[in-house]
Amino acid sequence: MAAASLEEEAARVLKDNCTACHGAASKLSKLDLRTRESVLTGGEKGPAVTPGNHAASRLYRFAAGLDQPSMPPGKKLAAADLDVLKRWIDAGANLPVQGVQDDKAAALAKLEERPITAAERDWWAFRKPVRAAVPSGNRPGGNAVDAFLAAAHRANGLTPSREADRRTLIRRASLNLLGLPPTPKEVEAFVQDRSPKAWENLVERLLASRHYGERWGRHWLDLVRYADSGGYEYDRDRSHAFRYRDWVVKAHNEDMPFDKFVRLQLAGDEYDASPDSLVATTYLRLGAENNVKSEQTRLDELDDVVATTVQGLLGMTVQCARCHNHKFDPIPQKDYYRIQAVFFPFKGKDVPIVPAEEQARWKAAVEAVEERVKPVRKQIMAIEKPYRDRIMDAKKDRLAPYVKLALATPPEKRTEGQRLNALQVEKTLNVLPDELDAALSAGDTARRKELLDQIKGIEQDRPAELAHAMTVEEPGSVAPPSHFLIRGATGQHGSLMKPGILSVTRTEDWRYPEPPAGATSSHRRRGFAEWVVSADNPLTSRVAVNRIWSQHFGEGLVRTPSNFGKMGERPTHPELLDWLAVEFVQSGWSVKHIQRLILNSQAYRMASDDIEANLAKDPGNRFLWRMPRKRLEAEIIRDGILAVAGSLDRTVGGPAVHPYIDPDLFQSSSKRTWPGKPDTDPSTWRRSLYVFNKRTIGYPMFEVFDKPDGMAHCARRNRSIIAPQALILMNNASVLLHAGRFAERLRKEAGPGLNDQIRLGYELALGRPPGASELARAASFADAGPNGLVDFCQALVNSNEFVFVP
Amino acid sequence: MGDHTMSQRFYSRRELLWRAGGGIAGLGFADLLSAAPAVTAGQVLSPLAPRQPHFTAKAKSVISIFCYGGVSHMDTFDPKPLLAQRAGEALTGKGPVVPSQGHPGGLMPSPWKFKKHGQCGMDVSELFPHIAGHVDDLAFIRSMVSKSNDHGPALFQMNTGFVTAGYPSMGSWLTYGLGSENQNLPGFVVFTDWRGGPIGGAPNWSNGFMPAAYQGTPFRSQGDPIVDLKPPSDRSPERQRRWLDFVQQLNEDHRRRNPADTELSARVASYELAFRMQTHATEAVGLGAESEATRKLYGVGGKQTDYVGRQLLMARRLVERGVRFVQVYSGGGNFQESWDAHWDLKENHEMHCAETDLPIAGLLTDLKGRGMLDDTLVIWHGEFGRLPISQRMNGRDHNPYGFTIWLAGGGIKGGQIVGTTDEYGYAAEENKKSINDVHATMLHCMGMDHEKLTYFHNGRNMRLTDVEGQVIKEIVD
Repeated sequence: MAAASLEEEAARVLKDNCTACHGAASKLSKLDLRTRESVLTGGEKGPAVTPGNHAASRLYRFAAGLDQPSMPPGKKLAAADLDVLKRWIDAGANLPVQGVQDDKAAALAKLEERPITAAERDWWAFRKPVRAAVPSGNRPGGNAVDAFLAAAHRANGLTPSREADRRTLIRRASLNLLGLPPTPKEVEAFVQDRSPKAWENLVERLLASRHYGERWGRHWLDLVRYADSGGYEYDRDRSHAFRYRDWVVKAHNEDMPFDKFVRLQLAGDEYDASPDSLVATTYLRLGAENNVKSEQTRLDELDDVVATTVQGLLGMTVQCARCHNHKFDPIPQKDYYRIQAVFFPFKGKDVPIVPAEEQARWKAAVEAVEERVKPVRKQIMAIEKPYRDRIMDAKKDRLAPYVKLALATPPEKRTEGQRLNALQVEKTLNVLPDELDAALSAGDTARRKELLDQIKGIEQDRPAELAHAMTVEEPGSVAPPSHFLIRGATGQHGSLMKPGILSVTRTEDWRYPEPPAGATSSHRRRGFAEWVVSADNPLTSRVAVNRIWSQHFGEGLVRTPSNFGKMGERPTHPELLDWLAVEFVQSGWSVKHIQRLILNSQAYRMASDDIEANLAKDPGNRFLWRMPRKRLEAEIIRDGILAVAGSLDRTVGGPAVHPYIDPDLFQSSSKRTWPGKPDTDPSTWRRSLYVFNKRTIGYPMFEVFDKPDGMAHCARRNRSIIAPQALILMNNASVLLHAGRFAERLRKEAGPGLNDQIRLGYELALGRPPGASELARAASFADAGPNGLVDFCQALVNSNEFVFVP
Repeated sequence: MGDHTMSQRFYSRRELLWRAGGGIAGLGFADLLSAAPAVTAGQVLSPLAPRQPHFTAKAKSVISIFCYGGVSHMDTFDPKPLLAQRAGEALTGKGPVVPSQGHPGGLMPSPWKFKKHGQCGMDVSELFPHIAGHVDDLAFIRSMVSKSNDHGPALFQMNTGFVTAGYPSMGSWLTYGLGSENQNLPGFVVFTDWRGGPIGGAPNWSNGFMPAAYQGTPFRSQGDPIVDLKPPSDRSPERQRRWLDFVQQLNEDHRRRNPADTELSARVASYELAFRMQTHATEAVGLGAESEATRKLYGVGGKQTDYVGRQLLMARRLVERGVRFVQVYSGGGNFQESWDAHWDLKENHEMHCAETDLPIAGLLTDLKGRGMLDDTLVIWHGEFGRLPISQRMNGRDHNPYGFTIWLAGGGIKGGQIVGTTDEYGYAAEENKKSINDVHATMLHCMGMDHEKLTYFHNGRNMRLTDVEGQVIKEIVD
């Protein structure tokens, strides 16, 4: 066979590597590499090739990695192929007459099809969890969880810690399950409880508390990037978002089966569409909202929904598959667009969730107010008109000569520039409120003010906004078309996409249901939700139990809780993870059931002591030979301070509150305001869960303690320890106020004796009485004038013992 | 670093770090272990401990002067005489012109005259008479492009490299990569305009997915520099010291029961640092220590220049004390209060230029005089430029397709002009530069390879420059 000519060789290299994106199916960067002519014309960046000079040719430079981004994306061109391109360019860059033969279907197939191998399906996280036999050799009194841990201890030569004392245990459990320190009475009762079921009973009491949902619901809110405003330029307040937050709290309190919890958030409108189910779908609308509405920003918002859903529920990262097949995990780009197709049809819609009669009454009341306002507005306009006209005339007089000329030219004779300028004057020349205010005579200003006051009076009768669900709607039962996007580029359509799933989890396609007759939506989200919680989905149950575990022990059995792929960590105890996952599903997806198993294990009750021999073998405590000590989260530190000071308002649910923030920290513009109330206002002494989550204004104490900013899914909070945290607990006026209230409380409840006050302080803040030397030292510290006790109280809530869960 | 295949090693190194006592910085920090100073067992390693760069750096600190709202390049550093010749004519031949707000007008001439300055012959308009005296120290990039014509995303891109919020900002990357030279001050400081902060708010100096140690600390220009830096006046320093000693005694007892827990030690250390910060931060921004001549150089006390002058003088004092990254916003609030000249370009830019021209020139003179310009990188920029056509008759709309920024000091070759815009100033034409390129260049000046400075997050080694960016070689030494 004759050797291929250089032209043919070059055509082959281009076809194999380039023309899928720069050819028949798509011309990314407006570049088409199929003919000599189009190669020389080039694309957005200029000609692709300078014939005779490979070093000056973009095509070569990108292909050789001399310029970024190197091409083809994600792979290195073979050296021999690069050499072909080099010689071809230097020889004049001729192509065969017919050009590079590449048809659209073949090009698309090259981009879209990415088969998954059996080996890839065999990755631990994609295999269905199987319940292994509980290992033998458990310690006496240990449960199944302990048996798995004990096996790992034995295998690694580790000695598990002793059981922590009761004061430590109740403090740990209360902070962990409620986010509130136990009261001295509760501590005492538990310490004195001789029943063999003392611990079990404590666990049950805490799991049944209405504050449990506030604590555990917050973990969910981190995953779904909950906020009370939309972010970006306008950062509009979402006055109905809190209903979703309350729904999450309630679902946790009621131990709503996790599968139902998932179904309702993804597709509550497609299940029973009850008011609560509609509120649950706020999940779909929690992301930040760009004020520019374009195809690009819509796709970005969808990307945010897809990423949050797949990371949060399935523990896989998919965002990179928006532009190309996942580099590390078997997630084809097509999977991304098939999952995007699930969400593609929906748009946000706020729906009233009160009875129709109430809606009608509300509408009538609003109309009545507007009817009364209208004539008053007319009078105001009449006062303003002569001033407005005068100001407008003066402004027209000051226009640039070429603009005046444009206005003076008859419309039909205007040049294009004149047309634009005349139109601009017509549409945008206006009178600003300040200009009008300055021009109005004193008499007219007074007359106008009187009318404005009248309006203000009428507006008093405007009824408060009705309760709404931030839910979604779709255009109908037939979903609008959505496409594979080549290299993720807007408008670069590949094939039409049907809804799909992560295809690595199944060998056959997941069947999406037909929408029922009369459906107003595609039921794609419902179909997707059914796959997420289907019995043979290998990811959902594992991911969920791992998150539960991580919130009890500080780290998951998989320490990358939102990445079960190749770049994540392997489970430290794979059999235990699977055992819990199976148990979870078989219990009817009961979160509290899994928590009971964990809480009633010996492992959960271990002390957090150092054990030298273990430290040497397993410094990271991967095999859980002790309970790790954890710095409390921002909100729990604040809640704890309010609680021990006796200040905390324990109301559950309702609209968010705005505690004081120093105005220097948010420097308001009209679009970003924070109606902070003074620190002394008890209505702000709510749990931190209820502090308004404004995306562009962080609550300073939360920011420095690593509360996530609500911009993206947060799988695991950072737990930094930095000086600005100390500054806030040392100096912040709110902290000082409650330190003072804490001292007052001690005086009131412990009586006049300083030692009694100190004892009670220790019991409230740390859940234990002081030792003799501690008491003496504290007394000598606090016995320093009227502020001594306040300083003592503030010291307690600053101490490591207060800030770390034991 | 930057190696996608070493996840196993990554975590074992993380554990090593914990063991050594540096676990306080959380995940991702381990990537820097090799650059960190030797750590002995039990020692607490601050997340801001100074770390070696990838290669010998010219610059130690960065001052970013962010003219928020968007400066008009055609009216400052990129003259377009054609606009006067074709005043009022439609802008044609450039494809559809996309304004951020409706009703584009015809071409609008610049109300200001230009003159050539310095050895390099750089054109500067009469809006910046003082900066014009420094052009031979400045490298201008006239061919900048940004990805968004909307303030929020464009600000985020300038600060974080991404148009969506939630990513770490430049200052976070630098303090993550290099730590800070002064442990008694925050490593990353932000000053906002007295009229308000930028659109987007705190996410502009956010640590994103990094630990809170790397977030920007907003500094006030008057009074205590940091909110909650000092206790109320009824608490004397003696009372606070006595209080802190008591807290530390409590902590000491607690730690004795848990001696190997380095987080407890870290928290003890963080209180001592906070206590020292109270004095150091106040001293660092105390302009009373500066000579009258220096204050005057910055325009402190001047009617229009006082505010920015004070901020830039404070910025110099901070970098002098080892702060890694200082960002000063000019413009904030609404309408004409930022550089966002939609309404009245003349009034807008005359005001903002008068506020900043002398102080910026003063900063450059002062840095140079002290020998600090060699290791301080100054970047002057907005989030985009403005269109050559009129808006609302006398204003100009946003323009992400072409605009000018400049860099100086810290390894930048002065007197350079990189790239061009087209004949109208509508779009970058030759040698286009992206914000990724600027970030790559900034990191390069600081001794960091932008492809190697990575933070592992969500299964990926994240970069300030994402997957793009090239050092602008023309302007670096």
